[in-house]
Amino acid sequence: MKKFGKIWSEYSFIFVLIVIFVVYAITSSGLTWSGVMNIFRHSAVIGIVALGMGLICLTGEIDLSVGSMLALTAGFAVMVFNVTGSIALTLLFCLAFGGVCGCINGLLVGGVEMPAFIVTLATMLIYRSFSQYFCQHVDRKLIGGGSSVYKMDTAKDAYQALFGFGNGKIATIPTVGIVLIAMTVLFVYVSGWTKYGKKIYAIGSNFKAARMGGVNVSLMKISAFTICGILTGLGAFLWIAMNGSSDPATTGNSYEMYAIASVVLGGISMSGGRGKMLGVLFGAMSYTIVDKIIVALKMDSLINNAIKGIILILVILVQVAGPKLRSRFHRG
Amino acid sequence: MSLLEMRQIRKSFNGVPVLKGVQLTLEKGEVHALLGENGAGKSTLMNILTGVIPRDGGTIEFDGQKLDHITITQSENMGIAFVHQELNLFNDLKVFENMFLNKEYVNRFRRLDKKKMRAECRELFERLGVEIDPDAVVADLKTSQKQLLEICKALHLNAKLIILDEPTTSLNNEEVDHLFGILRKLKEEGTSFVFISHKMPEIFALADRYTVFRNGEYIGEGKISETTPEEVTVMMVGESYSNAEVYEKRELGEEVLRLEDFSGDGFHHIDLGVRQGEIVGMTGLQGSGSSEMLQAVFGSSRSTGGSVKAFGKVVPRNSIHAAMKAGIGMLPNNRKENSVLPDMSLMDNMAISEQTLSAARLPVEGRRDRQRYDQYREMLNIKAQSSADLVTSLSGGNQQKIFIARWLNTDARILILDNPTQGIDVGAKAEIYRLILELSRAGKTILINTLEIPELMKVADRCIVFYDGSMIKELAHDEINEQDVMLYSVGITKDAKGA
Repeated sequence: MKKFGKIWSEYSFIFVLIVIFVVYAITSSGLTWSGVMNIFRHSAVIGIVALGMGLICLTGEIDLSVGSMLALTAGFAVMVFNVTGSIALTLLFCLAFGGVCGCINGLLVGGVEMPAFIVTLATMLIYRSFSQYFCQHVDRKLIGGGSSVYKMDTAKDAYQALFGFGNGKIATIPTVGIVLIAMTVLFVYVSGWTKYGKKIYAIGSNFKAARMGGVNVSLMKISAFTICGILTGLGAFLWIAMNGSSDPATTGNSYEMYAIASVVLGGISMSGGRGKMLGVLFGAMSYTIVDKIIVALKMDSLINNAIKGIILILVILVQVAGPKLRSRFHRG
Repeated sequence: MSLLEMRQIRKSFNGVPVLKGVQLTLEKGEVHALLGENGAGKSTLMNILTGVIPRDGGTIEFDGQKLDHITITQSENMGIAFVHQELNLFNDLKVFENMFLNKEYVNRFRRLDKKKMRAECRELFERLGVEIDPDAVVADLKTSQKQLLEICKALHLNAKLIILDEPTTSLNNEEVDHLFGILRKLKEEGTSFVFISHKMPEIFALADRYTVFRNGEYIGEGKISETTPEEVTVMMVGESYSNAEVYEKRELGEEVLRLEDFSGDGFHHIDLGVRQGEIVGMTGLQGSGSSEMLQAVFGSSRSTGGSVKAFGKVVPRNSIHAAMKAGIGMLPNNRKENSVLPDMSLMDNMAISEQTLSAARLPVEGRRDRQRYDQYREMLNIKAQSSADLVTSLSGGNQQKIFIARWLNTDARILILDNPTQGIDVGAKAEIYRLILELSRAGKTILINTLEIPELMKVADRCIVFYDGSMIKELAHDEINEQDVMLYSVGITKDAKGA
């Protein structure tokens, strides 16, 4: 019983996913393999962004700009593709540009020591505004002839290959889902089995003690924000590969909030130092399944966020109130 | 009749008994020292008395009244005040606002009557000889003033009994004297005190009687005037304690650390050479520069001029990493704030500094870390169950040993210990002294900064007294005594005294 309690508190995200999945299995008429695999596909972008968010949250910081950063990177990446016609260059641009956007956050938070909430709130406004502004003010040809959407040039040779990558499957598993799982494995390893990961946890646990122990706190924070930016860049690449276009007004809208919610649902403490990166994957997938349930029940999709919010409160309620109830029970 | 009688008090947490039928009797107008190691049950008993936690059994009689179920408000109204070790003040409010929090005076229109509150505040301060401006913001006060403010707050509630939990940990000797003066005055006026402290000289200077607990059991009580520090210490720690002199003279090696004209925030123009295997004690009142200087050597506090050479090589200034690479390690003061990584395991807490030095080899070297952990656990006699336990599950002394292991693990050959025995109980303190001597015999060079002179008398080869940012005096091992060190640290040199 005691052991179960420990597993519950450390791996509650697994139980959450199972419960939501069971609800999904019941509501959807007939569970299909491809239906389940679709969960991976639809979790890919938010999951990868949330991994970066998880890393930042482990240091005790926050990044509100990831949604806007996704839109900006995706928009510019479309232009890069339309000019070069090269998948490799587009991917490289996504990673580099995302990295730079994240690094700007990191320099201000880790280097100048400004509060992350304020810095990333500001860059959230800036990145979103840029992505919308440039969409209106660049040559139409660059954005595929559209007026308010970055569209990829379907006439380019590489387009089919890229779109195929974004929507294709390897052994019935969506390619983008494989990318998500690969990234999760990578970051579970980095956070748990490398010295870099230990330092991330140390900073979130007590940054003063980490500093006195020799950890370069500024540099670590800059690196965490940069990595989050690179992951967001990768998310942007997957986004355009899946959709072939990017709407600067809606792409990545509220993704910072979904990412934070996934991180919290995955059991990572917002004050830093506690939690597992594996939980982020489960958190992101849980939310994707909620979307599916709503579709399966033919409910109005506008109720979507309300249900996601309620689930978040319920899970945290159990985490916070559970130990209190237990100790009262013991005392009584 | 006694002011307070607690009899056969019992309390268990989750089935583990922490108080096994202890007793405490307090007379009116006395300072009663409550003694025992950390975990002996002192705080638990006080929390029961003030209604913070309920008791499992036993009787409490205060001021002639039997108390069955105590609530915090009730104990406050009865005249019991608890001045906690961590101060419970609101830093962003003014002094008088803190004083009257939740008990504000209001005028007819429910508007705060600040004039009346200020006046009453000033009156109380004057009566006690406390120099605090009622309009000052608490954040701007010195720690000692905050401590006094807490006590004033308690008195303002007309407390008959004030519980002081280690009130002197962050005060310098002058401030301690001032505080004690005030306490003695209050005692004469009939206020009683329960005084919890680990510092023997203070207990013997202030207390009238004492009660000793050990492992949740009542061991004994008596008059302070009829006992000695040694006797009380033996009662506290049991038979295992020995106060034998552990210091012995050793052969010192080559000079390994050289400071030349070293200056920085709070200290200036320091010239100092330290030889291998030497234990140098540094002391001085708070703000005298000794702690600041050591932090600057480690790179965690700013230095502005001069140079530090370790093992013949110049150490780049203002970089912790550079100091670490040069073989310098530092156990900072205030363990909880500057050392503890509360969410991490014992092993991770130990390995973190070494991991920053060997960061180029990316994966955690688990097997090697485990070997090292086992080795240090044995060598430092760390009482821990599993290396995966959280560091916060250990007692203060064992935590401190983990952090010493943290630096031994980096192969630091110069160890800077800033107030290493802060908040550690007597038994563990003795163990830390032994450890320091053992390390120096093994060739480590050690610099200790502390305000506790008896500590330096036990271990230091020489003692350097800081005053106003400079080294004012150097004393050899045999010359170290509390009186002289005190005189030098307040800036009185022997020559000046003679003149």
